[in-house]
Amino acid sequence: MRYLMMQTAGGAEPDAKLYADMAAFVEELTASGVLLATGGLDPVGFKMTSNGDEITVTDGPFTEAKEAIAGFALIEVRSREEALELGRRFRKIVGDGESLIHEVFGP
Amino acid sequence: MTDVPAAVAVAGKQESARIVAGLLRMVRDVGLAEEIAQDALVAALEQWPAAGIPENPGAWLMTVAKRRAVDHIRRSRTHERLAPDLARLAESDGEPGDDDVLRLMFTSCHPVLPPEARVALTLRVIAGLSPAEIARGFLVGEQVIVQRIAAAKRTLAEAGVAYEPAGQLSSVLEVVYLIFNEGYSASSGADLIRTDLCLEALRLGRLLAVLAPDEAEVHGLVALMEIQQSRSAARTGSGGEPIPLHEQNRGRWDQLLIRRGFAAMLRAREAGGPPGPYVLQAAIAVCHAQARTAEETDWPRIATLYEALERLLPSPVVRLNRAVAVGFAAGPQAGLDLLDELRADPKMAGYHLLPTVLGDLLVRLGRAAEGRRELERAASSARNAAERELLLRRAAALDVPRERGMLLGPAVAAFLGPLRPATARAYGQTLHRLTRIAGDRVPVAELPGERIAEIFAMSWAKVAPRSWNRHVAAVRSFAAWAGTPHLAAGIEPRPVEAAPHFAAGAEPRPVEAAPHLAAGIEPRPVEVEPVSRTSGPEPALRERVLWSLLRESAAKIGAVLALNVEDLDLADRSARNGAIVWRSGTARLLPELIAGRTRGPLFLADRRPGPGRPVAEVDLCPESGRRRLSYERAEYLCKRATGRSLDRLRHT
Repeated sequence: MRYLMMQTAGGAEPDAKLYADMAAFVEELTASGVLLATGGLDPVGFKMTSNGDEITVTDGPFTEAKEAIAGFALIEVRSREEALELGRRFRKIVGDGESLIHEVFGP
Repeated sequence: MTDVPAAVAVAGKQESARIVAGLLRMVRDVGLAEEIAQDALVAALEQWPAAGIPENPGAWLMTVAKRRAVDHIRRSRTHERLAPDLARLAESDGEPGDDDVLRLMFTSCHPVLPPEARVALTLRVIAGLSPAEIARGFLVGEQVIVQRIAAAKRTLAEAGVAYEPAGQLSSVLEVVYLIFNEGYSASSGADLIRTDLCLEALRLGRLLAVLAPDEAEVHGLVALMEIQQSRSAARTGSGGEPIPLHEQNRGRWDQLLIRRGFAAMLRAREAGGPPGPYVLQAAIAVCHAQARTAEETDWPRIATLYEALERLLPSPVVRLNRAVAVGFAAGPQAGLDLLDELRADPKMAGYHLLPTVLGDLLVRLGRAAEGRRELERAASSARNAAERELLLRRAAALDVPRERGMLLGPAVAAFLGPLRPATARAYGQTLHRLTRIAGDRVPVAELPGERIAEIFAMSWAKVAPRSWNRHVAAVRSFAAWAGTPHLAAGIEPRPVEAAPHFAAGAEPRPVEAAPHLAAGIEPRPVEVEPVSRTSGPEPALRERVLWSLLRESAAKIGAVLALNVEDLDLADRSARNGAIVWRSGTARLLPELIAGRTRGPLFLADRRPGPGRPVAEVDLCPESGRRRLSYERAEYLCKRATGRSLDRLRHT
């Protein structure tokens, strides 16, 4: 099963140690075949709203900086517990903040 | 997280390969390493509830496991083993690295183990699955897996295989692909749990790609699996019926996995070297994945790739796939020509995809009646109800007038019904196989006796005379009951005391013979001239010419059988502008076989075709009305007389 993990911004400013730990974590998950895709997100996005036939485009930023989604990882795991454990390890590396984790249903 | 057992199980799976690999470096025994790793998990179950889940569960497990390994070595070491142990302990300070995991894979996939043991051990120590989880994947009892793993460890210990610095990568790839295919073949809902095996295989493959990045075949295998897996949602319909590739909804293909497959393929190319079997299969998968619609498929390229693959892996299944590709690339007749040999191959007898492909090709050639018969034959050997129904629906949709008379399947059922159970069981064994191969919807009256004889040759050429005679009795009895004695005309009982020299391959079968009896019987040497091993009457002139021509020309069997009298240049000892050339043996015999004929097929069947078997004009002798000798019949005659297939003659 696949899970999408989304990280909000915030927490401590990334330092050299965080970068190194993160790189090792990503490398390990790639090697074990768990990490399918990952990426960071530009904090300034744009929003599209539809209302009847009308579609409005609004440029960001929109939310409090610490609530914005800053990155994502798509993982393939055997169980919810495995996703949880990986999330736990990820949170330990990045420090304070939040992750939203959803199961992804098949294509 | 409060659920400690779940956390331990997850850590055990995620860290298994590294922990066992690290331990293996210390203790040099897979079985022992795996047991110590288990001990560490038990320790975690005991300690984590009170102490909390450690920050880095993997490191915690590794530390505990190493400590136990050191304890074990201290306890068990003897004076003579002291030195190497200390050296080993000294070097085991570092973290287990990629090399250790790779060595563990070489060990668990070692060729001394039978394939199913390699699969079970690899899933246990590398993927970290429990025996119960492995058992569910392979539809066997947990105890079976426990024993299989125990036996594997014992075999490795006895063979002295512990810490393979450079094992056979091909064996590892084979195991990973076996696991993948086991999961891939499980398509129905009830089997869903088994499809997890595909993901395990993908993880193993991705891991291997990191461990052995310079090996093109590793990346080829990963690409192949990623792309095959990308179709998993599209390849079965709502009723569980398989959907062939060209009918799949390509929108349901998982583009993420396809892209990963492409990326793996690029890495395979970068690694270089001549393409191996996995790279070739991946290249074929890439071709399919690149086509946005079935019509855009680059069939000529796929046909070329299959041809290359067949050179590396000459197997009937590869040939069948190649025929499909050639059928699209160069037309149905070209595809059909490639299948001649397979139709006589006993290994393919119960394989429903052969008649499916034959049926498709024949239908596209406009030979709907034959095509339908093949599709119905395919239906009778299909693996599940959904597939069978699909084939029958396609057969029924063809615009062919319905054949008359009793059909084989219902006739066999009606015949067996009133018999005593023991007799019905014994006869049923024979007749059900006939039905499976000939097709349960073929009219009994139109089934030629020759076909029955061929099926006998295919299925039972090597059985003991008693078994053979039991099959003959079953068909005779059925033929008499159905009022179609011609069915049994081509099969004769064999003398029961038949010695190994008896014609149709009465080779002793080790599985049937008691070991002390089989030990005294020498297998017959392969290089013996096949014709000289004939017993009984000398083979007919036609067979002698055919065999001699095949031997001397080494031409394709289909091409030789397709020869017409008018194609021959007797003076030049050649046919078709020198495409087929023979020597003095054939030259001596040919005039007698031609016997004044001026045109028509060179090799003729013994009898004229029955009314229900329309034959193309090019395959009929204008003088005698007999049809061209079929590949199957020629193969059967050769097997009966020499015990060898025709193809072997070409290479003697």
